[in-house]
Amino acid sequence: MTVKALQQLTTGRNGVGAFILQCKKMDIHYCDWAGSSRGMNGFIKSILPKFAAANPQIEFVVSPRPSKHPVVIGHYINGREKAICVRNLEPLQILKKVELLRDASGEKLRKVNKPVQSVNESVRGVWSPYHGNGMAV
Amino acid sequence: MPKTARPKTAVLAFQLAGCEYQPPAGDQTWTGQLLAARPGAPPASAGALRPRCVASRPRQLCLSARRQQPQQQQSAQETDADTFDVLQDGTDHARYPPLERLPASVAGYPSPLPERALKSAKLAALHARLSLPSKIPLQTLARALVDGSADENPQFNNSNLAFVGHTLITYHVAEWLMCHYPRLPMSIVFSAVQAYAGDKALHQVARSWGVETAAAPGGEVDPGLLQFSLDKPTTTVLKFGYKRTEAAYLEKFKWRRGISSRVVFDDDFGGVVKSAEPEEEQEDDDLEEAEEGLSPSYTSYGTDKTRQIAEKVHANFARATIGAVYAHCGREAAKAFINAHIMSRTLDLSNLFAFKHPTRELALLCAREDFDHPVARLLSETGRMSRTPVFVVGIYSGTDKLGEGAGPSLDLARFKAAMNSLKAWYLYSPGGNVRVPSDMLVEDAKPWEPAHIDIGEIISR
Repeated sequence: MTVKALQQLTTGRNGVGAFILQCKKMDIHYCDWAGSSRGMNGFIKSILPKFAAANPQIEFVVSPRPSKHPVVIGHYINGREKAICVRNLEPLQILKKVELLRDASGEKLRKVNKPVQSVNESVRGVWSPYHGNGMAV
Repeated sequence: MPKTARPKTAVLAFQLAGCEYQPPAGDQTWTGQLLAARPGAPPASAGALRPRCVASRPRQLCLSARRQQPQQQQSAQETDADTFDVLQDGTDHARYPPLERLPASVAGYPSPLPERALKSAKLAALHARLSLPSKIPLQTLARALVDGSADENPQFNNSNLAFVGHTLITYHVAEWLMCHYPRLPMSIVFSAVQAYAGDKALHQVARSWGVETAAAPGGEVDPGLLQFSLDKPTTTVLKFGYKRTEAAYLEKFKWRRGISSRVVFDDDFGGVVKSAEPEEEQEDDDLEEAEEGLSPSYTSYGTDKTRQIAEKVHANFARATIGAVYAHCGREAAKAFINAHIMSRTLDLSNLFAFKHPTRELALLCAREDFDHPVARLLSETGRMSRTPVFVVGIYSGTDKLGEGAGPSLDLARFKAAMNSLKAWYLYSPGGNVRVPSDMLVEDAKPWEPAHIDIGEIISR
Protein backbone atom coordinates (compact mmCIF):
# COMPACT_ATOMS: atom_id res chain seq x y z
CA MET A 1 0.00 0.00 0.00
CA THR A 2 2.99 2.23 -0.13
CA VAL A 3 3.18 5.03 -2.62
CA LYS A 4 3.46 3.98 -6.26
CA ALA A 5 5.47 5.87 -8.84
CA LEU A 6 4.26 7.08 -12.22
CA GLN A 7 6.60 7.50 -15.15
CA GLN A 8 7.24 11.01 -16.38
CA LEU A 9 9.78 12.57 -18.68
CA THR A 10 11.95 15.61 -18.15
CA THR A 11 11.58 18.46 -20.60
CA GLY A 12 14.60 20.26 -21.91
CA ARG A 13 14.81 24.00 -22.37
CA ASN A 14 17.53 25.15 -24.71
CA GLY A 15 19.64 27.80 -23.06
CA VAL A 16 18.91 26.69 -19.51
CA GLY A 17 22.14 24.92 -18.69
CA ALA A 18 23.57 24.51 -22.15
CA PHE A 19 22.76 26.36 -25.33
CA ILE A 20 22.80 24.48 -28.61
CA LEU A 21 22.75 26.54 -31.79
CA GLN A 22 19.73 25.32 -33.73
CA CYS A 23 21.22 25.77 -37.19
CA LYS A 24 23.32 22.70 -37.81
CA LYS A 25 24.16 22.88 -41.48
CA MET A 26 24.21 25.47 -44.22
CA ASP A 27 24.23 24.67 -47.91
CA ILE A 28 25.66 27.44 -50.05
CA HIS A 29 24.99 27.16 -53.77
CA TYR A 30 26.53 29.33 -56.43
CA CYS A 31 26.96 29.48 -60.19
CA ASP A 32 30.26 30.34 -61.85
CA TRP A 33 28.73 31.88 -64.88
CA ALA A 34 25.49 33.62 -64.09
CA GLY A 35 25.50 37.30 -63.17
CA SER A 36 23.08 36.83 -60.30
CA SER A 37 25.81 34.89 -58.50
CA ARG A 38 28.43 37.62 -58.69
CA GLY A 39 27.77 38.76 -55.14
CA MET A 40 27.65 35.18 -53.92
CA ASN A 41 31.02 34.38 -55.49
CA GLY A 42 32.52 37.40 -53.75
CA PHE A 43 30.90 36.29 -50.49
CA ILE A 44 32.37 32.81 -50.79
CA LYS A 45 35.83 34.16 -51.57
CA SER A 46 36.10 36.95 -49.04
CA ILE A 47 33.56 36.61 -46.22
CA LEU A 48 32.66 32.94 -45.88
CA PRO A 49 36.05 31.70 -44.54
CA LYS A 50 35.89 34.16 -41.64
CA PHE A 51 32.21 33.54 -41.02
CA ALA A 52 32.65 29.78 -40.99
CA ALA A 53 35.64 30.00 -38.68
CA ALA A 54 33.58 32.14 -36.30
CA ASN A 55 30.71 29.63 -36.37
CA PRO A 56 32.26 26.19 -36.04
CA GLN A 57 28.93 24.70 -34.84
CA ILE A 58 27.59 24.90 -38.37
CA GLU A 59 28.64 22.55 -41.12
CA PHE A 60 29.10 24.58 -44.31
CA VAL A 61 28.78 22.86 -47.65
CA VAL A 62 29.64 24.91 -50.71
CA SER A 63 28.53 23.42 -54.00
CA PRO A 64 27.77 24.68 -57.50
CA ARG A 65 24.32 24.88 -59.00
CA PRO A 66 25.05 25.76 -62.61
CA SER A 67 22.63 28.03 -64.46
CA LYS A 68 20.57 28.66 -61.33
CA HIS A 69 20.27 31.52 -58.88
CA PRO A 70 22.47 31.34 -55.80
CA VAL A 71 20.73 29.93 -52.72
CA VAL A 72 21.57 29.58 -49.04
CA ILE A 73 19.78 26.74 -47.26
CA GLY A 74 19.88 26.39 -43.49
CA HIS A 75 19.18 23.00 -41.91
CA TYR A 76 17.93 22.97 -38.34
CA ILE A 77 17.97 20.55 -35.45
CA ASN A 78 14.19 20.21 -35.48
CA GLY A 79 14.42 18.77 -38.99
CA ARG A 80 13.14 21.77 -40.87
CA GLU A 81 15.07 23.81 -43.36
CA LYS A 82 14.99 27.39 -44.56
CA ALA A 83 16.11 28.48 -48.00
CA ILE A 84 16.85 32.02 -49.06
CA CYS A 85 17.48 32.96 -52.67
CA VAL A 86 20.26 35.56 -52.74
CA ARG A 87 20.25 36.51 -56.42
CA ASN A 88 21.83 39.85 -57.32
CA LEU A 89 22.72 40.60 -53.69
CA GLU A 90 26.00 42.13 -52.63
CA PRO A 91 28.32 40.08 -50.38
CA LEU A 92 27.43 42.11 -47.29
CA GLN A 93 23.73 41.71 -47.99
CA ILE A 94 24.29 37.98 -48.29
CA LEU A 95 26.09 38.05 -44.95
CA LYS A 96 22.93 39.52 -43.40
CA LYS A 97 20.86 36.70 -44.85
CA VAL A 98 23.33 34.07 -43.66
CA GLU A 99 23.31 35.56 -40.17
CA LEU A 100 19.53 35.49 -40.22
CA LEU A 101 19.63 31.78 -41.06
CA ARG A 102 22.22 31.13 -38.38
CA ASP A 103 20.18 32.84 -35.66
CA ALA A 104 16.85 31.30 -36.65
CA SER A 105 15.43 28.51 -34.51
CA GLY A 106 14.05 26.58 -37.43
CA GLU A 107 10.50 26.90 -36.14
CA LYS A 108 7.74 28.20 -38.34
CA LEU A 109 7.38 31.95 -38.02
CA ARG A 110 4.52 32.88 -35.77
CA LYS A 111 3.32 35.86 -33.89
CA VAL A 112 4.29 35.97 -30.23
CA ASN A 113 1.65 37.77 -28.19
CA LYS A 114 2.79 37.00 -24.67
CA PRO A 115 5.84 38.75 -23.24
CA VAL A 116 6.91 35.59 -21.38
CA GLN A 117 6.48 31.95 -22.29
CA SER A 118 7.47 29.52 -19.58
CA VAL A 119 7.02 25.93 -18.47
CA ASN A 120 7.29 27.05 -14.85
CA GLU A 121 4.06 27.60 -13.01
CA SER A 122 3.14 31.11 -12.00
CA VAL A 123 4.73 32.29 -8.77
CA ARG A 124 1.61 34.14 -7.70
CA GLY A 125 -0.73 31.25 -8.41
CA VAL A 126 -4.02 31.14 -10.23
CA TRP A 127 -6.89 33.15 -8.82
CA SER A 128 -9.42 30.98 -7.07
CA PRO A 129 -13.03 31.88 -6.36
CA TYR A 130 -13.09 29.66 -3.26
CA HIS A 131 -10.40 31.45 -1.31
CA GLY A 132 -10.08 34.89 0.19
CA ASN A 133 -13.01 37.03 1.18
CA GLY A 134 -15.09 36.32 -1.87
CA MET A 135 -16.69 38.83 -4.16
CA ALA A 136 -19.44 41.16 -3.12
CA VAL A 137 -22.33 40.78 -5.51
CA MET B 1 27.69 28.70 -73.74
CA PRO B 2 30.88 29.68 -71.99
CA LYS B 3 33.03 27.01 -70.52
CA THR B 4 32.44 26.50 -66.84
CA ALA B 5 35.34 25.93 -64.54
CA ARG B 6 35.79 22.80 -62.48
CA PRO B 7 33.29 23.06 -59.61
CA LYS B 8 34.58 23.79 -56.16
CA THR B 9 32.80 21.29 -53.97
CA ALA B 10 34.66 20.97 -50.76
CA VAL B 11 34.43 20.63 -47.05
CA LEU B 12 36.14 23.71 -45.74
CA ALA B 13 39.33 22.72 -44.03
CA PHE B 14 39.40 25.57 -41.56
CA GLN B 15 36.35 24.14 -39.85
CA LEU B 16 38.65 21.50 -38.48
CA ALA B 17 41.21 23.95 -37.10
CA GLY B 18 42.06 23.43 -33.47
CA CYS B 19 40.59 19.95 -33.35
CA GLU B 20 43.75 17.98 -33.95
CA TYR B 21 44.22 14.74 -32.12
CA GLN B 22 45.64 15.05 -28.67
CA PRO B 23 46.46 11.87 -26.84
CA PRO B 24 44.54 11.38 -23.60
CA ALA B 25 46.36 12.19 -20.41
CA GLY B 26 46.60 9.76 -17.55
CA ASP B 27 44.26 6.81 -17.33
CA GLN B 28 43.39 5.79 -20.84
CA THR B 29 40.07 4.29 -19.97
CA TRP B 30 38.66 4.75 -23.41
CA THR B 31 40.77 1.93 -24.77
CA GLY B 32 38.56 -0.30 -22.68
CA GLN B 33 41.31 -2.17 -20.92
CA LEU B 34 40.28 -1.24 -17.43
CA LEU B 35 36.58 -1.66 -17.99
CA ALA B 36 36.98 -5.10 -19.47
CA ALA B 37 38.24 -6.23 -16.10
CA ARG B 38 35.27 -4.75 -14.24
CA PRO B 39 34.55 -6.71 -11.07
CA GLY B 40 31.06 -7.96 -10.41
CA ALA B 41 29.85 -7.47 -13.93
CA PRO B 42 27.10 -9.75 -15.15
CA PRO B 43 28.46 -12.59 -17.26
CA ALA B 44 26.70 -11.41 -20.40
CA SER B 45 28.30 -8.00 -20.17
CA ALA B 46 31.72 -9.48 -19.59
CA GLY B 47 31.28 -11.61 -22.66
CA ALA B 48 30.29 -8.65 -24.74
CA LEU B 49 33.22 -6.57 -23.61
CA ARG B 50 35.75 -9.27 -24.32
CA PRO B 51 37.07 -9.20 -27.88
CA ARG B 52 35.47 -12.24 -29.43
CA CYS B 53 37.18 -14.76 -31.68
CA VAL B 54 40.47 -12.95 -31.61
CA ALA B 55 42.28 -15.70 -33.41
CA SER B 56 39.82 -15.95 -36.25
CA ARG B 57 39.73 -12.19 -36.86
CA PRO B 58 43.26 -10.85 -36.98
CA ARG B 59 42.13 -7.23 -37.32
CA GLN B 60 40.80 -7.38 -33.76
CA LEU B 61 44.15 -8.39 -32.34
CA CYS B 62 44.98 -4.94 -31.17
CA LEU B 63 44.14 -1.34 -31.80
CA SER B 64 46.99 -0.97 -34.18
CA ALA B 65 45.35 -3.10 -36.86
CA ARG B 66 43.14 -0.18 -37.75
CA ARG B 67 45.22 2.53 -36.18
CA GLN B 68 48.06 1.74 -38.57
CA GLN B 69 45.84 2.39 -41.52
CA PRO B 70 47.04 5.88 -42.48
CA GLN B 71 50.20 4.69 -44.19
CA GLN B 72 48.37 1.92 -45.98
CA GLN B 73 45.66 4.32 -46.97
CA GLN B 74 48.11 6.78 -48.46
CA SER B 75 49.76 4.07 -50.49
CA ALA B 76 46.37 2.95 -51.64
CA GLN B 77 45.52 6.45 -52.69
CA GLU B 78 48.64 6.71 -54.77
CA THR B 79 47.65 3.69 -56.79
CA ASP B 80 44.44 5.04 -58.15
CA ALA B 81 43.44 1.73 -59.65
CA ASP B 82 41.91 0.24 -56.53
CA THR B 83 40.28 3.40 -55.29
CA PHE B 84 36.81 2.83 -53.98
CA ASP B 85 34.36 5.15 -55.67
CA VAL B 86 31.33 5.95 -53.60
CA LEU B 87 29.29 7.08 -56.57
CA GLN B 88 28.95 4.35 -59.16
CA ASP B 89 25.80 5.69 -60.77
CA GLY B 90 27.15 7.08 -64.03
CA THR B 91 28.13 10.46 -62.58
CA ASP B 92 30.79 12.38 -64.51
CA HIS B 93 33.60 12.03 -62.00
CA ALA B 94 35.87 14.48 -63.85
CA ARG B 95 33.29 17.19 -63.37
CA TYR B 96 31.88 16.12 -60.02
CA PRO B 97 34.68 14.44 -58.10
CA PRO B 98 33.59 12.57 -54.97
CA LEU B 99 34.13 14.51 -51.79
CA GLU B 100 36.48 12.02 -50.24
CA ARG B 101 38.63 9.47 -52.04
CA LEU B 102 38.34 6.31 -49.97
CA PRO B 103 40.62 3.32 -50.35
CA ALA B 104 38.94 0.07 -51.32
CA SER B 105 39.82 -1.48 -47.98
CA VAL B 106 37.39 0.71 -46.00
CA ALA B 107 34.43 -1.25 -47.28
CA GLY B 108 35.73 -4.22 -45.33
CA TYR B 109 35.46 -2.50 -41.96
CA PRO B 110 32.23 -2.31 -39.99
CA SER B 111 32.85 1.30 -38.91
CA PRO B 112 34.88 4.21 -40.31
CA LEU B 113 38.58 4.24 -39.57
CA PRO B 114 39.52 6.47 -36.62
CA GLU B 115 41.73 8.82 -38.65
CA ARG B 116 38.86 9.70 -40.97
CA ALA B 117 37.31 11.52 -38.01
CA LEU B 118 39.77 14.35 -38.57
CA LYS B 119 38.29 15.05 -41.99
CA SER B 120 34.61 14.96 -41.15
CA ALA B 121 32.93 18.37 -41.13
CA LYS B 122 29.83 16.95 -39.45
CA LEU B 123 31.89 15.62 -36.58
CA ALA B 124 33.81 18.88 -36.14
CA ALA B 125 30.52 20.79 -36.15
CA LEU B 126 29.04 18.44 -33.54
CA HIS B 127 32.16 18.84 -31.41
CA ALA B 128 31.82 22.62 -31.56
CA ARG B 129 28.06 22.56 -31.07
CA LEU B 130 28.42 20.70 -27.78
CA SER B 131 31.20 23.12 -26.74
CA LEU B 132 33.36 20.13 -25.96
CA PRO B 133 36.84 21.03 -24.76
CA SER B 134 39.61 20.62 -27.32
CA LYS B 135 41.11 17.94 -25.07
CA ILE B 136 38.51 15.54 -26.42
CA PRO B 137 39.81 14.37 -29.78
CA LEU B 138 37.49 13.98 -32.72
CA GLN B 139 38.37 10.30 -32.85
CA THR B 140 36.78 9.71 -29.46
CA LEU B 141 33.65 11.58 -30.45
CA ALA B 142 33.57 9.48 -33.62
CA ARG B 143 33.85 6.35 -31.52
CA ALA B 144 30.97 7.52 -29.33
CA LEU B 145 28.84 7.56 -32.48
CA VAL B 146 29.44 3.88 -33.30
CA ASP B 147 26.91 1.63 -31.62
CA GLY B 148 27.65 -1.95 -30.69
CA SER B 149 25.26 -3.15 -33.37
CA ALA B 150 27.33 -1.42 -36.05
CA ASP B 151 30.74 -2.63 -34.92
CA GLU B 152 30.82 -5.35 -32.33
CA ASN B 153 34.48 -4.86 -31.54
CA PRO B 154 34.47 -3.10 -28.14
CA GLN B 155 37.68 -1.30 -29.03
CA PHE B 156 35.87 0.57 -31.78
CA ASN B 157 32.29 0.92 -30.53
CA ASN B 158 30.92 3.08 -27.76
CA SER B 159 29.90 0.39 -25.27
CA ASN B 160 32.72 1.13 -22.83
CA LEU B 161 32.25 4.88 -23.00
CA ALA B 162 28.49 4.49 -22.63
CA PHE B 163 28.92 2.33 -19.54
CA VAL B 164 31.08 5.00 -17.90
CA GLY B 165 28.68 7.72 -18.96
CA HIS B 166 25.64 5.84 -17.68
CA THR B 167 27.27 5.29 -14.30
CA LEU B 168 28.20 8.97 -14.00
CA ILE B 169 24.79 10.25 -15.03
CA THR B 170 22.84 8.03 -12.67
CA TYR B 171 25.25 8.81 -9.84
CA HIS B 172 24.89 12.56 -10.22
CA VAL B 173 21.12 12.45 -10.71
CA ALA B 174 20.66 10.18 -7.70
CA GLU B 175 22.86 12.20 -5.35
CA TRP B 176 21.15 15.41 -6.43
CA LEU B 177 17.71 13.94 -5.77
CA MET B 178 18.70 12.48 -2.42
CA CYS B 179 20.23 15.71 -1.13
CA HIS B 180 17.54 18.02 -2.48
CA TYR B 181 14.53 15.84 -1.67
CA PRO B 182 15.63 13.71 1.30
CA ARG B 183 12.14 12.36 2.02
CA LEU B 184 11.41 10.93 -1.43
CA PRO B 185 10.28 7.31 -1.26
CA MET B 186 12.61 4.93 -3.06
CA SER B 187 10.10 4.06 -5.78
CA ILE B 188 9.79 7.76 -6.61
CA VAL B 189 13.57 8.09 -6.66
CA PHE B 190 13.78 5.25 -9.18
CA SER B 191 11.13 6.88 -11.31
CA ALA B 192 12.77 10.30 -11.11
CA VAL B 193 16.18 8.91 -12.02
CA GLN B 194 14.58 7.28 -15.02
CA ALA B 195 12.90 10.55 -15.96
CA TYR B 196 16.29 12.25 -16.01
CA ALA B 197 18.66 9.49 -17.10
CA GLY B 198 16.47 6.89 -18.76
CA ASP B 199 16.61 5.98 -22.43
CA LYS B 200 13.70 8.25 -23.37
CA ALA B 201 15.17 11.36 -21.77
CA LEU B 202 18.68 10.79 -23.09
CA HIS B 203 17.25 10.06 -26.51
CA GLN B 204 15.73 13.53 -26.46
CA VAL B 205 19.03 14.97 -25.27
CA ALA B 206 20.91 13.33 -28.13
CA ARG B 207 18.26 14.50 -30.60
CA SER B 208 18.55 18.05 -29.29
CA TRP B 209 22.25 17.92 -30.10
CA GLY B 210 21.38 17.58 -33.77
CA VAL B 211 23.09 14.27 -34.41
CA GLU B 212 22.08 12.59 -37.66
CA THR B 213 21.92 8.88 -38.30
CA ALA B 214 23.54 6.89 -41.07
CA ALA B 215 21.19 4.85 -43.24
CA ALA B 216 23.27 1.75 -42.60
CA PRO B 217 26.56 1.20 -40.80
CA GLY B 218 29.75 0.57 -42.74
CA GLY B 219 33.35 1.58 -43.19
CA GLU B 220 32.54 4.20 -45.80
CA VAL B 221 29.95 6.30 -43.93
CA ASP B 222 30.74 9.76 -42.62
CA PRO B 223 32.19 9.41 -39.09
CA GLY B 224 29.96 12.28 -37.96
CA LEU B 225 26.79 10.18 -38.32
CA LEU B 226 25.31 7.93 -35.66
CA GLN B 227 25.83 4.38 -36.86
CA PHE B 228 23.70 1.44 -35.78
CA SER B 229 22.04 -1.54 -37.28
CA LEU B 230 18.35 -2.30 -36.90
CA ASP B 231 18.78 -5.90 -38.01
CA LYS B 232 20.96 -7.13 -35.21
CA PRO B 233 20.53 -4.96 -32.11
CA THR B 234 23.47 -5.02 -29.76
CA THR B 235 23.41 -7.42 -26.86
CA THR B 236 25.91 -5.48 -24.82
CA VAL B 237 24.66 -4.81 -21.32
CA LEU B 238 25.31 -1.18 -20.50
CA LYS B 239 23.62 -1.05 -17.13
CA PHE B 240 24.89 -2.40 -13.89
CA GLY B 241 22.77 -4.99 -12.17
CA TYR B 242 22.46 -8.65 -11.39
CA LYS B 243 20.35 -11.14 -13.21
CA ARG B 244 17.95 -12.59 -10.70
CA THR B 245 17.79 -16.35 -10.57
CA GLU B 246 14.02 -16.14 -10.52
CA ALA B 247 13.92 -13.68 -13.44
CA ALA B 248 12.03 -16.10 -15.68
CA TYR B 249 9.16 -16.42 -13.19
CA LEU B 250 8.76 -12.75 -12.34
CA GLU B 251 6.53 -12.00 -15.28
CA LYS B 252 4.98 -15.42 -15.53
CA PHE B 253 3.69 -15.58 -11.96
CA LYS B 254 3.74 -11.80 -11.33
CA TRP B 255 6.02 -12.23 -8.37
CA ARG B 256 6.45 -9.22 -6.20
CA ARG B 257 9.80 -7.45 -6.11
CA GLY B 258 10.34 -5.51 -2.91
CA ILE B 259 11.97 -2.11 -3.02
CA SER B 260 14.96 -3.30 -0.99
CA SER B 261 15.64 -6.15 -3.38
CA ARG B 262 15.36 -3.73 -6.29
CA VAL B 263 18.05 -1.60 -4.72
CA VAL B 264 20.35 -4.61 -4.41
CA PHE B 265 19.67 -6.62 -7.54
CA ASP B 266 18.08 -4.52 -10.23
CA ASP B 267 19.42 -1.81 -12.49
CA ASP B 268 19.60 1.89 -11.67
CA PHE B 269 15.94 2.43 -12.49
CA GLY B 270 14.68 -0.46 -10.39
CA GLY B 271 13.96 -2.54 -13.49
CA VAL B 272 14.73 -6.22 -13.87
CA VAL B 273 18.00 -6.98 -15.64
CA LYS B 274 16.91 -9.03 -18.62
CA SER B 275 19.04 -11.68 -20.25
CA ALA B 276 21.34 -10.20 -22.86
CA GLU B 277 20.40 -12.58 -25.66
CA PRO B 278 17.28 -11.35 -27.44
CA GLU B 279 14.58 -13.74 -28.53
CA GLU B 280 15.67 -13.97 -32.11
CA GLU B 281 12.75 -15.78 -33.68
CA GLN B 282 10.19 -13.26 -32.62
CA GLU B 283 12.38 -10.39 -33.67
CA ASP B 284 12.88 -11.83 -37.13
CA ASP B 285 9.15 -12.14 -37.52
CA ASP B 286 8.67 -8.53 -36.54
CA LEU B 287 11.30 -7.28 -38.94
CA GLU B 288 9.95 -9.34 -41.80
CA GLU B 289 6.50 -8.04 -41.14
CA ALA B 290 7.85 -4.52 -41.01
CA GLU B 291 9.58 -4.93 -44.33
CA GLU B 292 6.46 -6.20 -45.99
CA GLY B 293 4.43 -3.45 -44.39
CA LEU B 294 2.10 -5.99 -42.80
CA SER B 295 2.59 -4.89 -39.24
CA PRO B 296 -0.08 -2.40 -38.20
CA SER B 297 2.47 -0.36 -36.28
CA TYR B 298 4.60 0.18 -39.37
CA THR B 299 4.92 3.80 -40.46
CA SER B 300 7.44 5.78 -42.43
CA TYR B 301 9.24 6.25 -39.12
CA GLY B 302 9.63 2.48 -38.71
CA THR B 303 7.93 0.12 -36.33
CA ASP B 304 7.69 0.35 -32.59
CA LYS B 305 10.61 -2.02 -32.41
CA THR B 306 12.89 0.00 -34.69
CA ARG B 307 11.97 3.18 -32.88
CA GLN B 308 12.82 1.50 -29.60
CA ILE B 309 16.21 0.45 -30.94
CA ALA B 310 16.90 3.94 -32.28
CA GLU B 311 15.89 5.43 -28.94
CA LYS B 312 18.32 3.19 -27.09
CA VAL B 313 21.12 3.92 -29.54
CA HIS B 314 20.64 7.67 -29.26
CA ALA B 315 20.63 7.40 -25.47
CA ASN B 316 23.84 5.39 -25.55
CA PHE B 317 25.44 8.03 -27.72
CA ALA B 318 24.59 10.69 -25.15
CA ARG B 319 26.01 8.46 -22.40
CA ALA B 320 29.14 7.74 -24.42
CA THR B 321 29.71 11.45 -24.97
CA ILE B 322 29.66 11.98 -21.22
CA GLY B 323 31.98 8.99 -20.82
CA ALA B 324 34.33 10.62 -23.31
CA VAL B 325 34.26 13.91 -21.40
CA TYR B 326 35.13 12.00 -18.25
CA ALA B 327 37.91 10.00 -19.89
CA HIS B 328 39.66 12.99 -21.40
CA CYS B 329 38.78 15.93 -19.15
CA GLY B 330 38.12 14.36 -15.78
CA ARG B 331 35.50 14.36 -13.10
CA GLU B 332 34.69 18.05 -12.81
CA ALA B 333 34.21 18.56 -16.54
CA ALA B 334 31.94 15.53 -16.71
CA LYS B 335 29.89 16.82 -13.80
CA ALA B 336 29.57 20.26 -15.39
CA PHE B 337 28.50 18.64 -18.66
CA ILE B 338 25.87 16.52 -16.90
CA ASN B 339 24.59 19.57 -15.03
CA ALA B 340 24.37 21.58 -18.23
CA HIS B 341 22.69 18.99 -20.41
CA ILE B 342 20.76 16.65 -18.11
CA MET B 343 20.18 18.15 -14.69
CA SER B 344 19.02 21.41 -16.25
CA ARG B 345 15.95 19.68 -17.64
CA THR B 346 12.67 20.26 -15.80
CA LEU B 347 10.69 17.65 -13.96
CA ASP B 348 7.72 18.24 -11.67
CA LEU B 349 8.29 15.63 -9.00
CA SER B 350 4.75 16.03 -7.63
CA ASN B 351 3.45 14.38 -10.79
CA LEU B 352 5.23 11.14 -9.98
CA PHE B 353 3.13 10.12 -6.98
CA ALA B 354 0.24 7.69 -7.14
CA PHE B 355 -1.48 7.06 -3.81
CA LYS B 356 -3.84 4.24 -3.10
CA HIS B 357 -5.06 5.04 0.42
CA PRO B 358 -3.90 8.61 1.04
CA THR B 359 -6.00 9.23 4.15
CA ARG B 360 -4.80 6.07 5.87
CA GLU B 361 -1.21 6.86 4.99
CA LEU B 362 -1.53 10.39 6.30
CA ALA B 363 -2.98 9.11 9.57
CA LEU B 364 -0.02 6.75 9.94
CA LEU B 365 2.41 9.57 9.20
CA CYS B 366 0.85 11.75 11.87
CA ALA B 367 0.96 8.86 14.36
CA ARG B 368 4.62 8.24 13.56
CA GLU B 369 5.63 11.86 13.87
CA ASP B 370 3.54 12.47 17.04
CA PHE B 371 1.32 14.99 15.33
CA ASP B 372 -2.31 15.29 16.30
CA HIS B 373 -4.63 12.99 14.41
CA PRO B 374 -5.47 14.60 11.04
CA VAL B 375 -8.97 15.98 10.69
CA ALA B 376 -10.63 17.05 7.45
CA ARG B 377 -12.64 20.26 7.53
CA LEU B 378 -14.77 21.78 4.84
CA LEU B 379 -13.36 25.20 4.02
CA SER B 380 -15.74 26.36 1.33
CA GLU B 381 -18.19 24.96 -1.12
CA THR B 382 -20.36 25.99 -3.98
CA GLY B 383 -23.26 24.48 -5.85
CA ARG B 384 -23.86 21.52 -3.52
CA MET B 385 -27.18 20.75 -5.19
CA SER B 386 -26.02 21.56 -8.69
CA ARG B 387 -24.51 19.33 -11.37
CA THR B 388 -21.04 20.76 -10.85
CA PRO B 389 -20.40 21.23 -7.14
CA VAL B 390 -16.99 22.21 -5.79
CA PHE B 391 -15.85 21.46 -2.27
CA VAL B 392 -12.64 22.76 -0.78
CA VAL B 393 -11.40 20.63 2.09
CA GLY B 394 -8.46 21.29 4.38
CA ILE B 395 -6.69 18.71 6.50
CA TYR B 396 -5.73 19.87 9.97
CA SER B 397 -3.54 18.37 12.58
CA GLY B 398 -4.51 20.28 15.71
CA THR B 399 -4.36 23.87 14.55
CA ASP B 400 -1.82 23.20 11.79
CA LYS B 401 -3.17 23.00 8.29
CA LEU B 402 -1.35 20.18 6.49
CA GLY B 403 -2.92 20.51 3.10
CA GLU B 404 -5.91 21.47 1.06
CA GLY B 405 -7.71 20.07 -1.94
CA ALA B 406 -10.74 20.77 -4.10
CA GLY B 407 -13.02 18.26 -5.74
CA PRO B 408 -16.52 17.65 -7.00
CA SER B 409 -17.50 15.55 -4.00
CA LEU B 410 -16.69 15.69 -0.32
CA ASP B 411 -14.79 12.42 -0.38
CA LEU B 412 -12.77 13.30 -3.43
CA ALA B 413 -11.86 16.67 -1.99
CA ARG B 414 -10.75 14.96 1.23
CA PHE B 415 -8.59 12.48 -0.70
CA LYS B 416 -7.08 15.31 -2.72
CA ALA B 417 -6.32 17.20 0.47
CA ALA B 418 -4.68 14.11 1.98
CA MET B 419 -2.60 13.59 -1.16
CA ASN B 420 -1.48 17.19 -1.12
CA SER B 421 -0.52 16.90 2.54
CA LEU B 422 1.52 13.75 1.82
CA LYS B 423 3.21 15.39 -1.15
CA ALA B 424 4.04 18.37 1.02
CA TRP B 425 5.74 15.97 3.42
CA TYR B 426 7.55 13.89 0.84
CA LEU B 427 8.68 16.85 -1.26
CA TYR B 428 10.35 18.65 1.62
CA SER B 429 13.56 20.24 0.38
CA PRO B 430 16.25 21.82 2.53
CA GLY B 431 16.72 24.48 -0.15
CA GLY B 432 18.32 24.98 -3.50
CA ASN B 433 21.86 25.45 -2.23
CA VAL B 434 22.35 22.05 -0.65
CA ARG B 435 25.71 20.50 -1.40
CA VAL B 436 26.01 17.04 -2.81
CA PRO B 437 28.73 14.54 -1.84
CA SER B 438 30.60 14.99 -5.13
CA ASP B 439 31.13 18.66 -4.23
CA MET B 440 33.61 17.42 -1.64
CA LEU B 441 35.87 15.95 -4.32
CA VAL B 442 37.02 19.39 -5.41
CA GLU B 443 40.25 20.64 -3.94
CA ASP B 444 39.93 23.17 -1.06
CA ALA B 445 36.27 22.29 -0.59
CA LYS B 446 34.68 23.58 2.59
CA PRO B 447 34.08 21.01 5.34
CA TRP B 448 31.05 18.83 4.78
CA GLU B 449 27.87 19.73 6.56
CA PRO B 450 25.73 16.69 7.12
CA ALA B 451 22.82 16.43 4.73
CA HIS B 452 19.29 15.98 6.01
CA ILE B 453 18.59 12.28 6.32
CA ASP B 454 15.01 11.21 6.80
CA ILE B 455 14.00 8.16 8.76
CA GLY B 456 12.25 6.80 5.72
CA GLU B 457 8.95 6.55 4.00
CA ILE B 458 5.72 5.63 5.72
CA ILE B 459 5.29 1.90 5.86
CA SER B 460 1.62 1.18 6.23
CA ARG B 461 -0.40 -1.95 6.42
